[in-house]
Amino acid sequence: MHSERSRRTTDLLTVLVLGYAALILFPVVWMATMMVKPEAVMFERPTVWWFTPTLEHFEFVLAAGFHWHLLTSFVVALASTVLVVLLGTPAAYAFARFEMWRRDDLFLFILATRMAPPVCLVIPFYLIYSKLGLIDTYIGLTIAYLTFNLSFYVWVLRSFCRDLPVELEEAAMVEGYPRWQVLRRIVLPLLRPGIVATAVLCFIFAWNEFLFAFMLGGKTVKTLPVAIPTLITTQGVKWGEMAIVGIVALVPILIVVFLLQRHIVRGLTLGAVKG
Amino acid sequence: MRRPCDATGRTLAAPNPLVVGLAIALPWLWPATSHAWSYKEAAAPYAVQSITVLDEVTPLQETMQKLVPQFEEETGIEVDYQLLNHFEVINRGQADLLSGRGEYDAIMVHSPQMGLLLDAGVLRPIDDLIANAELTSPDVDLGDLIQPSWDTVAKYQGETYGFLTWAYNTVYWARGDLLAHPEEQAAFKAKYGYDLAPAETLQQMRDIAEFFTRAKGEQLAGQTLESDFYGILLEGIKGGTTWWTVWNSFVRNWGGDIFDEDGSPSVDRPENVAAIEFWGDLWKFGPPGMAEASLIDVPTLMGQGVTAQALAWSDFGLGIDREGGSPYAGKFVYAPSPANADYGGPRSAELEPSILIIAQSSDAPEATYLFLQWMADRNTQLALAEELGAGVPNRYSLFEAPIFKDSRLASLYAAMRGSLEYGEAKPRVPQIYEINDVLAALVQQVGLGQLTAEQAMAQGQNEVLSICDPCTLSE
Amino acid sequence: MTTIGYSGKDVARGKAAGRSAIGRLWYPYLLIAPTMITLVVVSLIPFLYVLFLSLHDVRYGQVRDFAWFANYATLLSDPRFWNSMLVATIFVLIAVPLEFMLGLIGALILNRGIRMRRIVVPFLFIPTMMAPIVVGLLWKIMLAGSWGLISYNLLERFGLFKEASIFASPNAALYALILVDVWQWTPFMMLAFFAGLQALPVNPYRAAAVDGADPVQTFFRLTLPMLSPVLAVIGLLRLIDAFKVFDTIFLLTGGGPGAVTESPSILAYKLVFEYWKVGEASALAALVWIAFFLFCSIFYHVARKRLNAF
Repeated sequence: MHSERSRRTTDLLTVLVLGYAALILFPVVWMATMMVKPEAVMFERPTVWWFTPTLEHFEFVLAAGFHWHLLTSFVVALASTVLVVLLGTPAAYAFARFEMWRRDDLFLFILATRMAPPVCLVIPFYLIYSKLGLIDTYIGLTIAYLTFNLSFYVWVLRSFCRDLPVELEEAAMVEGYPRWQVLRRIVLPLLRPGIVATAVLCFIFAWNEFLFAFMLGGKTVKTLPVAIPTLITTQGVKWGEMAIVGIVALVPILIVVFLLQRHIVRGLTLGAVKG
Repeated sequence: MRRPCDATGRTLAAPNPLVVGLAIALPWLWPATSHAWSYKEAAAPYAVQSITVLDEVTPLQETMQKLVPQFEEETGIEVDYQLLNHFEVINRGQADLLSGRGEYDAIMVHSPQMGLLLDAGVLRPIDDLIANAELTSPDVDLGDLIQPSWDTVAKYQGETYGFLTWAYNTVYWARGDLLAHPEEQAAFKAKYGYDLAPAETLQQMRDIAEFFTRAKGEQLAGQTLESDFYGILLEGIKGGTTWWTVWNSFVRNWGGDIFDEDGSPSVDRPENVAAIEFWGDLWKFGPPGMAEASLIDVPTLMGQGVTAQALAWSDFGLGIDREGGSPYAGKFVYAPSPANADYGGPRSAELEPSILIIAQSSDAPEATYLFLQWMADRNTQLALAEELGAGVPNRYSLFEAPIFKDSRLASLYAAMRGSLEYGEAKPRVPQIYEINDVLAALVQQVGLGQLTAEQAMAQGQNEVLSICDPCTLSE
Repeated sequence: MTTIGYSGKDVARGKAAGRSAIGRLWYPYLLIAPTMITLVVVSLIPFLYVLFLSLHDVRYGQVRDFAWFANYATLLSDPRFWNSMLVATIFVLIAVPLEFMLGLIGALILNRGIRMRRIVVPFLFIPTMMAPIVVGLLWKIMLAGSWGLISYNLLERFGLFKEASIFASPNAALYALILVDVWQWTPFMMLAFFAGLQALPVNPYRAAAVDGADPVQTFFRLTLPMLSPVLAVIGLLRLIDAFKVFDTIFLLTGGGPGAVTESPSILAYKLVFEYWKVGEASALAALVWIAFFLFCSIFYHVARKRLNAF
């Protein structure tokens, strides 16, 4: 009987969640229909709900080379996320686990790097990069993204670290495992949900970032968000093309989240947390 | 006389004495510079250079992009002609100039930017290059460039900073089919006492706006309206070119201005108040979204048939008033930006003359200069118009070219010509964008009925005073 | 992976040995070194440069004379600055709690389990995944006066906002922006909280079930305390980010009507890119930063003591 009620609750919640999803995704679905909606009926009043689809927007987008921008975005976002994970995971662990001299101050310092409005930082970055010749380079943009992604990653991951049971690590040390193995074999697997979730978020921030990519990028390094304003032309906004770029920009991330969510979701194997 | 033979024994043709005589005499008769000036020759010393040019992306420049290879081929100068949209060309362009980074040799600059850039001293004057006979074609015909646009945007204290390449302007835009409809004409005449025609004055524009503002269910040109219809559409967004239009198409047509002769702010003049009251009053004949309408939305909405009239940038008309651009393509009429019937002084219209300047940091000024000259050249502009099928002439002579004169958009070109006569570039005030922001916010509130024109102008005066006084270049 | 069994004695021995093993001084510093060095180079130096700029008269990007606190004085006496702080504060105080609550509820539901969860989760997450610039344009399509999809079909039909449009209405504009922000960032909270819930150890729940605790008790006594680190961090980060929102506001209202939606970021944008008053913009950055630093420090210490969240 308990499971019967449980099943009904599950169904009810599923309906609730699906309803919520439908409500919030309606604008996105509408935008998706704009991908194939002819220009003439795009904003006709009264609203045109049925129409004959067209591929003209896709042609334009491909002709304008948006797939290159997609690739650029992917490279920069991936590179900066990988860097962030490599640099930030040990730090998050350390902040959670150990007593350190001025630990709180250091930790707050990390967050402090994120506190100023990015708009104010852009010009100093531009000026510094300009002197170092880093403008319009992949390295330059990747490094710039470290500014906010690294602090975000360390702060969030640290909170995941706090839930790790210390006993496991201590026991492993007792058994004679060297410290790095403790990290690798015990801590990291347990941290997996946190790492994956936070890394995905960092990837998304880098993927969608506009201001820095615009000022510090250029002809070579043109990410997708930077390419989108080119669709705001003097002939009006190219909504169909914009819809395509918007939706296409979603797809890689959608796939990434879909694939990686199993790392976030606790599976049936409950790891070492026994007894 | 026996004809001479060549080595093979064939008889040589007898040389014609006239030809020989001319061949000998010709070099003496013809002027020393018997070569016609050409870009190719002028560019010879610079042929291996490459330059980077930043321009704004509108259909005009997109077409220009297709022509650039011709220049490259002819001169050997490699041109990286980049296009960015309006905000980007301003942001990136200025950042590049002001930081001294120097990625661009030439950048497109709108007239409001000139104050700031001149103040910062990052523009390279081109007078020496113009005076250089080797670099400047004798046919450059600078007098052909539209005035006072060119002088007001490109010249300062005796120095010139660029050619008038893009002569953007605003025009009056209306639905010709509605204005020509006999029922509407009869009703209009009965109500207002004069014939219904494209407005020549702002007062007429207002009457027409009032006349055509109808609710859903009412009749318009013999048909029942399925949704509300509006008499006029103006830009109303905070920012954009809202304030520029209010200033030049309205305020100055009342004899007002926001600066007096020595540049001190005088925003709260009674003439300004009267003009803005008139402008704000027009809002009741406009659609509800007018406060969000930007310079891009206005032509878009006009193209969708939402209103009967609009004041808009003429180059948008090129994109909207063509097949596939709007269901009402071909039904529009145009006229110069209207005058104020109650004011006898100089007439004003909103323009945005834009030039390409050479950066102080450019290391290829001559090559850049040649490219800029080529861009503003009559032949290039004509080729551009041929390629695009339309254009915005930057020269008087272009208006006479068949492609403009005999175009189906002849009314639009005539309107452009009219507006261009009355307008000029923005004054050289480095803080002008800040002032624009402040005043655009205030007039938007007047339009929305949140402030009276008097309150807005009084507040505007205070705010502008806190920005600058006097508002001029600092030397 | 081998499971490690241990007894109480082992734990004691482990603790004794572990303390000396784990507590060796150099190890934690080694772990944090890469991050700290990176941040010093990539964040601290530019920020110091910003401070430097804020203390000088910077005309058009050219640094001129040392100006002490002139920029700060100008800014602090400018009502526009204070207005922007107010706008951001209201924005944050309404948007973030909404996102927090909705996100937590959603995460709890997801954690409890629903059908097709694996498919639904990525889709629920779409609003956060979209580029802010696209989000801005999307909502412009939805809510633009007279031609927006929702404005036209729903609102005008019912006579709401007939005279002005949402984004131009001084009362409604800010709330419309808050709506957009909640739409966009609730999934972010949801995913983070969901991951947090998934990472919680199972044993305490088993023990609670054995003890016969009901769901409400379990939630308040077990889940909430254990989740509090994640809640605190995500909440704080979202708070900071919401204060700095730029892309959507810029696209939808540009700071208008009037200055009703002019957040500090929008004001900073104008100062930098339109007026080129880089010195003042830098002072703005410094002021916002100081405000945040104070706030975060207090929050951090309080949350640490009271909620054991850090």
